[in-house]
Amino acid sequence: MSTYEEEHNTSANNASRNTIRDHFREAFQEGGDSGNLLELLSQMMPQALQEELLNGPEKGCPEYYIESLPRVPKEKLKPEESCSICCCNYRDDNYPLVVFLPHCSHRFDFECLAVWLSKSTTCPLCRDDVIAHRQEIDITQVELEEDWGMYG
Amino acid sequence: MASLPKRIIKRLVSDPVPGITAEPHEDNLRYFQVTIEGPQQSPYENGVFHLELFLPDDYPMEAPKVRFLTKIYHPNIDRLGRICLDVLKTNWSPALQIRTVLLSIQALLASPNPNDPLANDVAEDWIQNEDGAIATAREWTKRYAKPN
Repeated sequence: MSTYEEEHNTSANNASRNTIRDHFREAFQEGGDSGNLLELLSQMMPQALQEELLNGPEKGCPEYYIESLPRVPKEKLKPEESCSICCCNYRDDNYPLVVFLPHCSHRFDFECLAVWLSKSTTCPLCRDDVIAHRQEIDITQVELEEDWGMYG
Repeated sequence: MASLPKRIIKRLVSDPVPGITAEPHEDNLRYFQVTIEGPQQSPYENGVFHLELFLPDDYPMEAPKVRFLTKIYHPNIDRLGRICLDVLKTNWSPALQIRTVLLSIQALLASPNPNDPLANDVAEDWIQNEDGAIATAREWTKRYAKPN
């Protein structure tokens, strides 16, 4: 039988953990030096999380935006039309799930585009920032509604 | 190979580019041996440059890794053969293909950009003494980039 520590691969870190814990106790008892405390806290964070905090989260579109992209119906797909990300013909799939970006109308397999937009905000073909365009559109719609309110 | 994306296979048969070859390695279809001919009227004219190209697991969501194997005197290519080219870094797009990347590299040979250097000493030389730098690039091409 393996111990909890072995299973979770923590035993190797025990020594350094104990030192950190001791440092913490000291830091809290001292009370004043918050720089020291911050340093200790950052030591306890996993490396990946530290990097994310330093570099900011990976840039990408929010999931709800990706999910809301308009779909292209199968009848509108030309026989030889293919996704420029995977190079596969849309029609090879009996049930193609193809979407287009509203501002530039470029089409892609939903699956391919979703992966790309989870780490970027640009159209793979024209490099336009899809998020910037989305906000522009939203604002004009809001203004339009206000105008209607005024004159209606 | 278990599941090489279709786009890679397609790429192998898609229209060849004059002056550029890319052969996948027998043991690893993600690893390509590449040759690029130096563009005409550039200091790299008549040279044949060898490069290696590797497709990471995330390709095409991540750019291919490309490196010069042949020594080259160029402000945007360092002594390890690493290339400073926007489409290989921040301007990568999953719609770009191996051939478009290699065409961009060939274009970089035709128009070196010493204001965005990777090899600082070469770039400095290029800015201060362009004729001399071009002569060095020509000499290196003759010495290292011999066509077989």
